[in-house]
Amino acid sequence: MILIAFIACTVAALLLIAISYTPARMNLACTGQAILFTIITVFLLLFQTVPVSSFLIGNQFFFIDHLGIFEILITGIIFTLAAVYARGYVAGLLESGELEKGSLKLFYGAWALLLLIIVLAFCSDNLALFWIFAELTTITSAILIATLSARENIDAAIKYIFVASVAMLFSFVGLIFLFQTSRTVMGDGTLNWTALIANAASFPPGMMVAASALIFIGFAAKSGIFPFHTWLPEAHAKAPSAVSAILSGVLLNVGIYGILRMAAIAHQNPAFASITPIIGLFGVLTIAIAAFSMLPQKNLKKLIAFSSVENMGILLVGIAVATPLVIFWVLFHIMAHSLSKASLFFSAGILHRQYRSHLSTDAVDEIRDVFRLQPLAAWGIILGGLAIIGMPPFPIFFSKLFILLGLGSVSPLVLAVVLVLLFVAAVAFGYFVISAFTRVSPDGVSMDTDRYPTPLSMKVPIVILLCLILILGIVFTSGEISFFNQIVKELRF
Amino acid sequence: MIDITLAESVVKILFVIVIITAAYIISTRNLLSLVSVYALQSLMLVLIAIVLYMLHNTWVLLAIAAITFASKVIIIPYFIATIQEKVRIRRDIEFHFLSPTTSLLISMGLMLVIYMVLSKILGGVPDENRFFFFGAVLGISLMLMGMMVTFSRKRAITKVLGYLSMENGVLLFGLFITELPFIIEFLIIIDLVIVVLLTTILTIGLDSTLEDYHKRLHRFHLWEEEETP
Repeated sequence: MILIAFIACTVAALLLIAISYTPARMNLACTGQAILFTIITVFLLLFQTVPVSSFLIGNQFFFIDHLGIFEILITGIIFTLAAVYARGYVAGLLESGELEKGSLKLFYGAWALLLLIIVLAFCSDNLALFWIFAELTTITSAILIATLSARENIDAAIKYIFVASVAMLFSFVGLIFLFQTSRTVMGDGTLNWTALIANAASFPPGMMVAASALIFIGFAAKSGIFPFHTWLPEAHAKAPSAVSAILSGVLLNVGIYGILRMAAIAHQNPAFASITPIIGLFGVLTIAIAAFSMLPQKNLKKLIAFSSVENMGILLVGIAVATPLVIFWVLFHIMAHSLSKASLFFSAGILHRQYRSHLSTDAVDEIRDVFRLQPLAAWGIILGGLAIIGMPPFPIFFSKLFILLGLGSVSPLVLAVVLVLLFVAAVAFGYFVISAFTRVSPDGVSMDTDRYPTPLSMKVPIVILLCLILILGIVFTSGEISFFNQIVKELRF
Repeated sequence: MIDITLAESVVKILFVIVIITAAYIISTRNLLSLVSVYALQSLMLVLIAIVLYMLHNTWVLLAIAAITFASKVIIIPYFIATIQEKVRIRRDIEFHFLSPTTSLLISMGLMLVIYMVLSKILGGVPDENRFFFFGAVLGISLMLMGMMVTFSRKRAITKVLGYLSMENGVLLFGLFITELPFIIEFLIIIDLVIVVLLTTILTIGLDSTLEDYHKRLHRFHLWEEEETP
């Protein structure tokens, strides 16, 4: 029933979008859909025994376990807030002619479809099915990136499709390897995650390494891991900010989710010991590349995009350490990063509207007088920035701390390197904020810039997200702890 | 049911043709023949699927053959050829990093490396898995060759063809694992068709009226360097 509910919501939303004429109504359909998705997930969480098994769920294709609910919940929250945000944002795009009215239906249609596909991906038990949904998310999100009528957007979308799809094909070959391995070991070939994890211990290590490495390539590209991160800053910086928030807060999770599931299978196998150094190496390289790309960055959205790359690197390092405690905090980090990053992109979107350059989205942001013109967005960037570099009251502080502690017990040397890199990234963020936000035009000259009238719908999501992050950082309920523990237990780390 | 040695030698011949088509795709500059060679390559896969069907007698293989024939031999090549005619791109003379000769040499090297790596990983495979092994070697080589096309060519349409030939590699590999659920193969083809549609449409802009094509193409610098034949 649950899958049908998800699909029915989406079909209803798509129909509403098809028959409505005003942007506001299309937006309402998307907001309603996302809210319904969130409600369904909360219902699952509170009133159902997980892993859920009902009609269509719990067979060989779909299942819902704690990790799935966790990811769907994040997805629902971010999509809801992004849809509210898009209401004001898209109106601004239409006004300035950056988005044509004819593309609106396509935009919101792809939006609603993307939410459904992501949720279905998180519900897939069959890894091949998950692969297909992950691949479809690439395509639908590329449409969202490309709807802005600019050549560079289309370029970014095409780059995204090619890098992600090409890498995902390697993943599929990895899945075929896995299938063949399961066939020789279990007698009957399967790609069901639940069946694979139960039998992974007896798989031949050589095949296991080959399969994991190939699968890793594809999902690494989806989550922007070095050396497949090249599409990420382009796509995230050029997409409309509401879409950037989704790309960073939700779509990267799809890739990490795939890596996590794969690592969980490999962890059962003795071959895991030879895989972890590779995963860890890529994680550290990713952090390094991101940190040093952030340093000279003059474009706010690109800076935030590279910070996503950096956080994916941290997650990868956490997965490589793979003790139950660290995996616990990896999950926490996924949540904290998604929410913080969405708020950052929302704030950056307001600044982008205020100071947009007519030349190119690549151009240097000419931010000045920010506290007079857009005080909320400025504070949003400052607080969100503090949250993302991991300052104490915010949740990322705790997740980073415990991931790094876990790393330190494995290799103090790598810990030292990562600490330096994280410091570089934090400095880059701080440098940008201080240099951009203190730029004030001299008295008398400044009055020629008009203040962008930020609609309420763009402000509210930022405030809600910042409150949510703060609460997550300060309050840590026992329910939350047992929920995360349950996920770790199901992943068998 | 046919004789296994006969089937084996037929499959081997088809393998060789697949490799030749892949080499052609890597090195040619003529876009129109690129599409027909791709169609030929897909047709070889269809034939391999049919031979395997006669060997194993599983209906999934026949279904895959039918779907591959419909989508990859007819629909996709037709679609791309139509687009090419409208966009008037005939040749893709720009190679990013690799010239055709170097890419051919590299792909030969790649094949050898893959052969050695795979024989190490799959070392000690029983004799019945020989097909699986060759399928794996060729499939992955085809993928890497397609990847080289995708990343060394400039035009989006050629990139799409590179991606398609990569996908053929995956299919070739998958064919030898006969128990892959059919629904999955089917969904992959759907995914492929969407990728092709989307990327080609994106390359000519989101509008598709003919007058707009030309305006857009100018804006997107897609046909500036048109050559006189």
